[in-house]
Amino acid sequence: MTKLANLLLAIVILAALSTAAIAAGDTLAEIKRKGVLVAGVKDSLPPFGYIDEQTRRIVGYDVDFARAIADKLGVKLELKPVSSASRIPQLMERHIDIIVATTSNTPQRQQQIDFSYAYFFTVQKFLVKKGTVKSLADLEGKKIGTAKGSDSEQNASEALPSATILSFDDYPQAFLALQQGKIFAVTTDEAILAGIRQKAPNKEKFEIPDFQISDEAYGIAMRKGDSALRDFVNKTLLEMEASGQAKEIFEKWFGPQSATPMSRAFSITADK
Amino acid sequence: MFHYQFDWGIVTSGKYFEWLLSGLYTTVQLSAVSIVLAFLLGLIIAMMRMSRVLPVRWFAYGYLEFFRNTPLLVQMFFWYFGSYKLLPEAVNDVLAQTNFEFTAAVIALTIYTSAFIAEDIRSGVRSIPKEQMEAARSSGFSYIRAMQYVVLPQAIRITIPPLINQFLNLTKNSSLAMTIGVAELTYQARQVESYTFRGYEAFTAATLVYLALSLFITGLVNLYNKMVLMRMRGE
Repeated sequence: MTKLANLLLAIVILAALSTAAIAAGDTLAEIKRKGVLVAGVKDSLPPFGYIDEQTRRIVGYDVDFARAIADKLGVKLELKPVSSASRIPQLMERHIDIIVATTSNTPQRQQQIDFSYAYFFTVQKFLVKKGTVKSLADLEGKKIGTAKGSDSEQNASEALPSATILSFDDYPQAFLALQQGKIFAVTTDEAILAGIRQKAPNKEKFEIPDFQISDEAYGIAMRKGDSALRDFVNKTLLEMEASGQAKEIFEKWFGPQSATPMSRAFSITADK
Repeated sequence: MFHYQFDWGIVTSGKYFEWLLSGLYTTVQLSAVSIVLAFLLGLIIAMMRMSRVLPVRWFAYGYLEFFRNTPLLVQMFFWYFGSYKLLPEAVNDVLAQTNFEFTAAVIALTIYTSAFIAEDIRSGVRSIPKEQMEAARSSGFSYIRAMQYVVLPQAIRITIPPLINQFLNLTKNSSLAMTIGVAELTYQARQVESYTFRGYEAFTAATLVYLALSLFITGLVNLYNKMVLMRMRGE
């Protein structure tokens, strides 16, 4: 009987201790203890995070950064697909440790979560049927699609107050609505639009006109107060920049040979 | 356990309150239109299901089984995205100018729910002794008139409790319309969450509104039962 009581006591104490560790917010120690880093990534958003047709695994620019951090920590990487709307609640609920899912660093989000240094820079543009849009004025009063929970939605309704913003569950559905003429444009970050357009079977029918409504800097997001983890991620990002690994990942997904060629007009620095 | 400061102010006044209110308005519109249409369609399908004309009965049977046994979300996507391939281009262009998101949601909710309603009405009708129909027919009523004046008034009353269920289900199912971009209550609650990160407040408010709406519908149908149907039967 005493044995059983002791065992129960031990369990209670252990549970209390582990809750205490969680409450203290030391996710870094927790990750090392578990030996797994759980990263929330997109799974239908090439080239940031999507399912590779051959291997059936999630790959992409974001995934490579998550993997580099896991490697640096010496732990296994576990990927959990998230959507724009679900990623921050999932982080808060501790279902994931970090978000590496095209998350723009915004002052509003900073009140809820912490961001690493920016690891990708882009601008918000529009994807439209060829020849229908020359300037922002052409989009006034139109139906424009985007994804729920993205800041693209908020930027668009500020830039185009007269437009109707329709938010879909994720970008592929918004693009389907565009293809079917149900909406006039899809708006989000240029790099994402380029990836969507690239996957389309009739891509020559669509274009991204050359005007933008905002600048976006993607950061890796963590729970507020996880400073040990944030410092570690920041340190890793700077090391990746210094070693050329960050540039290599960029070239892999956005280089001249890639499906969505772009030039790397940024570097990862400690001031952004 | 909660390191969370509740801020109920954001959902009880100001911009976000207005969003939720407009979401409620859309939900009420969506549910009201779909409830009326689903009831009428359900009635027709139930009659067809009981018809003595074999192909009509078979059609109704196929309709029932098909729409009852496929997920509403899939039907929602079908009417919004899938209908594109079936319709001529000119029709699609016209639809794109309208609020087609709303229309597609109404079609999906109506058809899906009508299948359940038809089965409820049918079991209501079957509970009325068949001698009543025979008596009405031999008094010179046509089949339709006999249904209208003799069988249905009694059957509908028996059907009211399951009908309330279907109406409540429809009202709550209307939240699936958010997936095709209809800005109803759940959509707006999620919108408030992504602008403010105040998910608890936004969804608590939405939950309470759904609860109030459901209780209101229950009350309304019960009232109709008391005021109209019971008087019709002379109780």
